[in-house]
Amino acid sequence: MAYDLQLSHIGKVYDNGTPAVIDFNLDVDKGEFIAFLGPSGCGKTTTLRMIAGFESITSGDLLIRGKRVNDLQPEKRPTSMIFQNYALFPHMTVRQNVMFGLEIKQLPQAEAKRKVDRILDKLGLSDVADIRPTRLSGGQRQRIALARSLVVEPDILLLDEPLGALDANLRKSIQNELKLLQRDLGITFVFVTHAQSEALALSDRIVVMNAGRVEQISPPRELYTRPQSIFVARFIGANTLISGNVKSVSADLVTVDTAFGPLTAEMPAVAPAPGRPASVVLPAEAMHVLPATMPEAEIRANHGSNMVPCTVTRLQLVGHILQIGLVLPNGEAVSIEGHVDKYRDSLSTGSAAVVAWHPANATLIAQ
Amino acid sequence: MESRILKPALGLYVALFLLFLYGPFVVLTIISFQQGPEGGPQFPIIEWSTYWYRHIFGLTPPSRIAPLPFGEALLRSLTLAFMTMVVSTVLGVMSAQAFRRKFKGSGAVFYLIVLGMMVPGVLTGLGVSLLANNIIGIERHWYTTAFATHVAYTFPFAFLVMLAILNRFDSSVEEASWSLGVDPWTTFRKVTFPLIFPGVLSAMLFAFTLSLDEFPRTLFASGRDQTLPLAIYGTFAVEIHPNIFAFGVLTTLFSFALLSVYGILMAMSVRRAKKMAMQEDIE
Repeated sequence: MAYDLQLSHIGKVYDNGTPAVIDFNLDVDKGEFIAFLGPSGCGKTTTLRMIAGFESITSGDLLIRGKRVNDLQPEKRPTSMIFQNYALFPHMTVRQNVMFGLEIKQLPQAEAKRKVDRILDKLGLSDVADIRPTRLSGGQRQRIALARSLVVEPDILLLDEPLGALDANLRKSIQNELKLLQRDLGITFVFVTHAQSEALALSDRIVVMNAGRVEQISPPRELYTRPQSIFVARFIGANTLISGNVKSVSADLVTVDTAFGPLTAEMPAVAPAPGRPASVVLPAEAMHVLPATMPEAEIRANHGSNMVPCTVTRLQLVGHILQIGLVLPNGEAVSIEGHVDKYRDSLSTGSAAVVAWHPANATLIAQ
Repeated sequence: MESRILKPALGLYVALFLLFLYGPFVVLTIISFQQGPEGGPQFPIIEWSTYWYRHIFGLTPPSRIAPLPFGEALLRSLTLAFMTMVVSTVLGVMSAQAFRRKFKGSGAVFYLIVLGMMVPGVLTGLGVSLLANNIIGIERHWYTTAFATHVAYTFPFAFLVMLAILNRFDSSVEEASWSLGVDPWTTFRKVTFPLIFPGVLSAMLFAFTLSLDEFPRTLFASGRDQTLPLAIYGTFAVEIHPNIFAFGVLTTLFSFALLSVYGILMAMSVRRAKKMAMQEDIE
């Protein structure tokens, strides 16, 4: 089956010789929701603009529905882009904005009007159809941009931080709308964002980028629980990294020698050679904080076989969530959140405690 | 302490500046209302009258003072200014558009264009006249050689105005249009041009007014038929009557009218730019 969008060894080098994107590989199925996630300047927007045709591609092949489009002008590609600032036409009314792409396609007037009316109605813009977008709110303008791009029926919709300009509440509700809309239309979405919560909530797969390179391509859940690189482990979620050297490898566990003694973690896809430097990645969610007075055997049995002593530095109750600040023997500070019921009154600020976790919840990243 | 001396001093400077700027025009205006046809271009005013204004339009009984021979010259100047305006603005928009992308030698081309407004006018005029007469061997006319020099002179102004306008232009609206499947030329016509139109109008006004009262270049480059500034200059050689002043007042008022239009259009353009900026600010 042909993919909707294929990027094969895509590279981009600016005129001044700076590489922007290096060896980008991705195959996207029809109807998939893909997010490009990374810090600013990581090349995610550049990649999106290469797909749209606004940036030239230095090397590699870009295929849309099996056809190579590297040298096709943006207006001839079956893509449509939503811009961060929406880029609405300020001299046209909402209806004219949405109609614009269809006018050029020389669709019969009646059919074009029907399509515009349908999409305006779908996005709740019928009431404001005849005013200029400059007078509307951010959320409304966001919807106009969506309507304008969707009405031309692109194969692939490209979205460049489309929620970045909205306030938090609006962002949530538009996020949901966007996801529903995408399911409903069944077209491929490629979404650029630097907010991991957006990427995790919306996408089928996330491409994490850093410094022009792809770090990991995974579904949100897997990306969150099984980071494959130090960068991803630090960028996604709230992980604690404990470094050491691989000591031994068993069927499903790797033992790492660390400053806190031997710790175990789930076996990665490729078994690391003993002696190699590696990091144990510990999600905040996997950690249990227990009073130091609890017997070790009980901890091992109930909370996981990995244990590190620590000191409680901060306890703060926010509603039903208890925020716990810890400091490990090596001085590293760790923040953990947990339901208040789980901890009751077992901890106090300044007291000694133990952090424990199950090996299966920790990920090993070999360096 | 500083402002107690500096502020009044600067205020005085500005007052003097304005006096020098508008003083001649005020004197000119007063004398234009001198009694006619006996009254000359000097004080005191014998009697206030609009005689010289009527004289310009041939509404006075015949006297020994001939009406100003400006009819044809005015028409010529307006035609020339219009032609110059159209060509310079089209060139200005096109070249400024070209400068939105860096191209090889763009720096050199920029200075070559701007040179047109820097070179002393008399030299350009003389050069064109020598080139036409001695080297190419064509006759000089206001609609050929003078027209070319006017374009060379006003084009840089139109170019710079458009460069400033396009500099502030948010090109993502163009990209949005392309991504909707609209080709670049249609995008320019339907998206870019309407948005930069106030700027285009001000470039047109610049070119028009500069061409209308251009003197040094035209003096050498225009040949037999005179433009308005040349014709006015020509009358000085005989005897000066207040009718020239009246004419001066009328043309100045005309220029002010053009400037007002320009001001209004710029205000509109700024307001539109602000709206666009608002659209971006929310990011």
